[in-house]
Parts: sequence; C-alpha cells; structure tokens
Amino acid sequence: MRRRGVRIALQYAGVLFVAIVLNFALPRLAPGDAVDYLLPPEAAGEVTAAERESVLAQYGLGGSPVTQFGSYLSRLAEGDLGVSIRYGQPVTEVLTERIGWTLLLVGGALALSTLLGVLLGFFAAWRRGSKSDTTSLTGVMVLDAMPPFFVGLLLILVFSVSLGWLPIFGALPATEASGLALVFEAGQRLILPLVTLTLGFVGTVYLIARASLVGELQEDYVLMAEAKGLSPRQVRRHAQRNALLPVVTITLVGLGTLIGGAAVVETVFSYPGLGRLIYESVLARDYPVLQGAFLLLAVGVLLCNFVADLLYPLLDPRLRRPVAQ
Amino acid sequence: MTAAATLRRVKRAFAGNPSAGSRTGRRLGLIGAGLLLGVTLVAVFAPLLAGHDPTAPSGAPYQAPSFEFPLGTDDVGQDLFAQLVYGARISLTIGVLSAILATAIGLGVALLAGSLRGRTEVLLMRVVDLALVFPFFVLVIVLAAFLGRDLLITAAVISAVLWAKPARVLYSDVLKVGEFQHVVAARAMGASHLRVLGRHVLPRLAPLGVSQFVRTANVAVFLESALAFLGLGDPNRVSWGSMLFFANSRSAFLTDAWLWWILPPGLALTLVLVGFAFLGYAIEERADPRLSGRRQPGAGRRARRTASRPAGDDPAPQTPGTVLEVRNLSVAYRSGGREVRAVDDIGFTAQKRSIVGLVGESGSGKSSLAFALLGMVRPPGRVQGGEILLNGRDLRSLRGPEARGIRGREIALVPQGAMSSLNPAYTIRRQVVESAALTREDPRAAGERAREVLESVGIAPQRHGAYPHELSGGMRQRVVIAMAVANEPSLVVADEPVTGLDVVTQARILQLLLELRDRLGLTLVLISHDLRLVGRVADQLLVMQGGRVVETGAAETVMTSPRHPHTEALLAASPALREVERPR
Repeated sequence: MRRRGVRIALQYAGVLFVAIVLNFALPRLAPGDAVDYLLPPEAAGEVTAAERESVLAQYGLGGSPVTQFGSYLSRLAEGDLGVSIRYGQPVTEVLTERIGWTLLLVGGALALSTLLGVLLGFFAAWRRGSKSDTTSLTGVMVLDAMPPFFVGLLLILVFSVSLGWLPIFGALPATEASGLALVFEAGQRLILPLVTLTLGFVGTVYLIARASLVGELQEDYVLMAEAKGLSPRQVRRHAQRNALLPVVTITLVGLGTLIGGAAVVETVFSYPGLGRLIYESVLARDYPVLQGAFLLLAVGVLLCNFVADLLYPLLDPRLRRPVAQ
Repeated sequence: MTAAATLRRVKRAFAGNPSAGSRTGRRLGLIGAGLLLGVTLVAVFAPLLAGHDPTAPSGAPYQAPSFEFPLGTDDVGQDLFAQLVYGARISLTIGVLSAILATAIGLGVALLAGSLRGRTEVLLMRVVDLALVFPFFVLVIVLAAFLGRDLLITAAVISAVLWAKPARVLYSDVLKVGEFQHVVAARAMGASHLRVLGRHVLPRLAPLGVSQFVRTANVAVFLESALAFLGLGDPNRVSWGSMLFFANSRSAFLTDAWLWWILPPGLALTLVLVGFAFLGYAIEERADPRLSGRRQPGAGRRARRTASRPAGDDPAPQTPGTVLEVRNLSVAYRSGGREVRAVDDIGFTAQKRSIVGLVGESGSGKSSLAFALLGMVRPPGRVQGGEILLNGRDLRSLRGPEARGIRGREIALVPQGAMSSLNPAYTIRRQVVESAALTREDPRAAGERAREVLESVGIAPQRHGAYPHELSGGMRQRVVIAMAVANEPSLVVADEPVTGLDVVTQARILQLLLELRDRLGLTLVLISHDLRLVGRVADQLLVMQGGRVVETGAAETVMTSPRHPHTEALLAASPALREVERPR
C-alpha cells in the first residue's frame, strides 16, 4: 500500500516536471522573438536593443537555456510566476483573485454531473435494450455532442433574452449588495454557467456509468446473487457497487475536460474565473498570466488524478495487497 | 425486391451475428454516417453553394436574411451563409487531418511498444500515461496561443495532445493479437517482423483503429471550434467556431440577428459532432458487443412468466419421502425466429438425502434444467411446460417474491466457477451473511450463522474477512457451498461444482458435499459432464443428450452395464486412471 503510494507520487512528480518544462519551453519555442510576446503588441515594434536586453533579463530570458531554466525553477520555488502585462500585478495575485470562482463552478458541475450521470446511466443500464434506454442514450449523445459554448448561448437566449429570468453577466451584481442579498444575486448568476458546464459533462458520466453497469450485469456473481435468493434491491447493490469503480476514475480524470469546458463557458457568461482569465490573456497577449494559469490548472488536475489513484484501492479490494497466506 | 423485404433480409442477417451490435447501434451508425456524408457534400461543393466570398465584405453590414444573403450579413458585411458553407470545410479538414495524425502516432507508439518489449516498452507506455493525465484542453489553448493560429498548426497541436488515447487503446490490442495462435505460429515459422505485422497484426487492429480514428476526429472538431470560439481560430478563414466568436463578442443575441448568426453555425457544429459520436458508438459497439445489451441472462427486464397454469388445477400428490419431483419439464430458447428445446420433456424424482446425478456433454441442457429448477429461466428462454414439485408445492405456480422466496431458502445453487460467482468487492463473510440473513432478522444471528457455516465447510475464522481473490479455488468453492447451505435448504443444485479444480481438491469438495448431505439431510442434484465422477457419489443417474434423458437408473447399474451408446461414450471420455474408493 505504502510502496504503491510512493510509486504513484513519483509518477505524478514526473508529470509535474514535464508540465513545468513545457511551461518554460513554450514562449521560447514560439516563432519570433520572445520580446514580441512579452511586450504589448503596440510597444513591441519600437523597442531599442538595450531595452530588449533588459526585458529579456527581467523575464529570465537572458543567458544559456540551462541557466535560464535554473533561474526559472528557483523563481518558481519562491512562488514567483512573473508579472502580468495587462494588470501590472504579480501573476500569483491575479490567479488567486480568480481561482475561487472557478473552483465553485467546476466543483459544482463535477458534483452535479456525476450524480445525474450515474443515476441516469444506471437507470438506462437496468433497462438496456428497451425503448426508454434507446431514447435516453440517443438524447444524451446528442446533448453530449453539443459544444458547451453553443449550449451556453442557447441558454442565454432562452432564459435571459426571451424570458428575462436570469442575469447573464459576471458573477457578482454591479450594484451594492451585502449579506443574503449578495449570496442570492451571486447564486442567480451561477445558475446558467453551472447548468451549461454540467450539461457538457453529464453525458460522459452517463455513458461510462451505463457501459460499466451493463458490463457488470453480465458477470456471474450477479446471477449468483439472484440465485442466492437476494431481493432485486440487494442484487442491484451488488452490481452497482462494482460498476461505480470506473465512474470514480473517469470522473476525476475528466476534471481536465471540465476545466477546459470552464474556459469556454466562463467566456460565454463573462464569469470572472480562470477560464475567462485565459481567454482575456490570449486576447491581450498577457503571456505570463497564460503560463501561470496553465501551470496552476495542470497542478490542480494532476492533484485530482493523484487522489483518484490513491483512493482506488480503497474502493476495489482486488488492488489491495493480498493478505499473507 | 421491395425495400421492406431487403430490410427484413438485412435484419435477419444481422440477427444471426451476435457481434453485429444492437439495432440501436446500427441505426445510430447509419444516421451518423448520413450526417457526415451530407456535411462532406456541402464542403466539397461549397463554391457552388456559397455565392459569395466568405472572408470579404459583399454587402452592407448587419443585413437581415434576403434572397441574396440567405442568412444575412455580419458586422462588416460578409455573407453569413457563405461562411456557414465554407465552415464545413474547416471542421472536416481539422477533424480528418488531426485524426489521421493522432491515430498514426498512436499506432506507431503502440506497435513499437508491443514489438520491442522490455525497457523501451515500459518507457513508452509511461510517456503515454503521462500524456493521458495532462489537462489537454488547456494545453491546446496555451499551445495554440504560442505556436500560431494557422489551420495546419491547429491540426498539429490538436493531434499532439490527442495521440495518447489511441496509443493506449491500440497497445493493449497489439499485446492481445501477439498472443493469438496463428501469430505465434507465423513467428515460430520464421516469418519476418514486417510480414507478421502486415499480414497478421495490422488487419486485427483495424476495427479498433477505425473507432479510435472516429473518436479522435470527434474531439478534434470540437477542439478547433472551441479554439476559434476563444478567438484562437485561423485569422484567414472563418470557421463555425469563429462565427460564434464574432457573434458573441458583438452581442448578436441582443437583436434578432441570433436567429441567423448564432443558430446556424451552432447547429451545423452539433450535426457534425453528433455524426461522429453516433458513428463512433456504432463502431465501438461492433468491436465490443457487451455495450449493446443483447441477450444477458439474469437481469434487465423481468421475465414474463409464460404458460401459467389454470387456477384450481392441483398437481397430482407426491409420494411421501420425495423431496423433488420433476414432470415433463421442457425449456426452450428462441433464436432467430424459431424455438430450440434445451430441455425436452424430462422427468425424475429425488428422495430425501439422495443424490441425483445429471450427466451430459456441454449443450445437453443440464444448466438449463438447473435454472428451471431455480425458476430463473430468462428470455429468450422460457419454460414451455411441465411441473416442478418441491415438497409437494408446484414451484411453477409461484410468482414474484414468492418464487424468489424459494431460492436460497428451500433450493440453493452451488454454481459453476466459484471465482466469478463471488462478488470481488465484498468479503466472503459479508456474502455468506447475506445468505444467512434471508431467514434471520437479527443481524447478530446472521453473523453468528455465517461464522458457523463457514467453519463447517472448513474455512478457519481468521480467513472470514478475506476477499474472494485472496482465496484458492478450492476455498472459494467451499465459500459457495457455505452460502448454499446457510439456510439448510431441502434441495441443493450443484452445477459442475468441482470443474476446474485439481483431482485432490475435487475429491475433498465431493467429500464435503456428502458430509453436509448426511449432517443436514440435504437432497442433491449433482450436474456434471464427468460421468465417472458423478457415478462415484450419486444414487441415481440421468444421462442427457440434446435435452433428453437417454438413460436413467441406479448409479451402479448405469456405471457397470450401460445400455445406451451415449452413456458408453461418456464413460470412455472420462477414463478411470485409478480406482478411487467411493467416499463415504
């Protein structure tokens, strides 16, 4: 158990290292001079050679790649991700301002879509081959195929433009509000992005849950549970317990997809999270922020995968160390 | 031939082939292929359909739809219909190009890892695992932001993050194919590496390769549209994603413009993605028929009890001392429009404490008979007729919970293959407690009974908390027997209880069954393909062939002087290596 944990931790440390190297290498691999990327577009054309040098030094872009990487690592270790071009603030500050909103949105969508997806997927699996299974399968696949930004735009059209029920901009009201009123206003603004992101992921969970349970139902132990005289409810528990295992992994691994989805959904709703920040940074060519956000998200996703890997043996006894004979 | 007749023929052809996937799958596949074909046609004939240049102003800005501009114009007067038509080209190009690249890279890595083995293999697959956990969506955004927005670069970026999945999936298939007999044989006969690859491995990988190709294309189309929607699309072309980007950034939905500016590209995108998703599902289902949900025993829609007996028709009384009486029992399976009888008009009786041996080859109807006794024949099978009397009660007249109440309490099953019959996620104690709890309300009493019965089959208390995978085959068989006898049933149906065990363990398990029979006064129906083995312990033998009983009689008579040629054949098929003393 402990050795497995250490091995997995080492593996993830490896991925993290790759992420850091990528983050270091990207601006250097990009075509053209890094200064073109680091300065605002209007300033890039009219810098002198000396200014160029000082900018390069400021961003740790002077010297050989090895020394550059060394200084990059040491600054990273101090929590220094550089300075945002757009805001003039340290990147870490910009990121901390935004991360809460994304956590709220992504966490909520993850919980909701897992719950819904498992319920519907299991329901369909028990009725597989029947008309209700076919209908829900087809419906979920169509829903799953719709790009989340299109779904978001449609929801805006229906609930904000036509019906006028929900506000669509930002996460907090522009007017002064406090206490419960503030929470209510924020909740109202969370609904549509949350629904959009949930709809974008629920199909994945549904398909996995359905396929997983359909697979389990063909196992002999389910037949045996019935032959043993257990009630239909007990038989269901047997199969569902095991069918949940792949769902757990896929859900946590799918977090990467969900965070990507958040990038577009936050953009549609002007929701001030990390995804919207990435979008703004792309438009404003604020590369330090872009890199910082990427690193932060990569670390977050890797952490979740790490947790999933550690959790798995607790759920599946077959992965635990066999008891000494 | 009429269309309907053709359709019927096609349906029949598929019905005979279980790997062809479900009807739903095939229908979805056809719809998906149709959608993609339509979009491809639009893409090919875009210049004919469009009428205007999609990237140059051709009219006044913000025009409503008209004959000249079927979808109106955008903020700089570009024809939205032309953009929509040309957008098909971008989506399909990206999808196909990225999918070719990613699947090719994946295939290369899989073949390399699968054929080189050793260190390289481990290293390569580690890299694949690393690539799989990366948050690929965010990576694509960052890569596109730094490396450029040209269509080809986008395709390269997308395949650079999507290759790992095909690599992982194809790799496991490469390993599987490598173990196939004919591949091993070809290698042994000295066929060159490349020849084995081309002739034997690649054709086998094709189905999975195709399904991975379609899946990758699906994700690639989505990623391109998402990038374009975030303003990272190719600046020289207009794709559906960038149409939505412009519509969104220019707040097209504050006027009626959303009707022709947002809906068409969004729907077009959905159509292509649905096309890929449906096609991908159909192909995957063909490769893995488990997904289709066809013909699974034991679950799904509850079996409709057929041939219910008219009320008031009491069965003939049973002779005292008789535990089980089976009269004229027939079980049939529907297959391809006709019914095949698996159990054909079988009758026998079993006295208390006796052992009835049911012997036959696989397919002779033994297991169907066992499931009929348990009341668990499921569609496409059904009990056609006959009576099953247990202690004078006709089991076939029981419905729902009543029928279930018999199982595990009065009739218990010792199944074939104890490993797969135990739930891998539950401890053996828990699984035996479940059985014991059927007749015990108090959980403490059930726990106590489980401990007692597990010990009585020879499992020491310190192993009661073990999981099935931690036990040997013989131990698992003991656990299954403990579950069966937990409620002291009057009848135990043991379906091949010792198959797959070594000879010594076989003898011990049989011995255990005999002991339990004596101690608990059980009646046993012992089902096996091994006539000698059953003949050693049974009192009465039934030899089955093709669903019928071809010979029946006292065990000793049948063993020593068989009358039916099939019995002789079965005796010859299980030669007695040495005379084992009949256990007592």
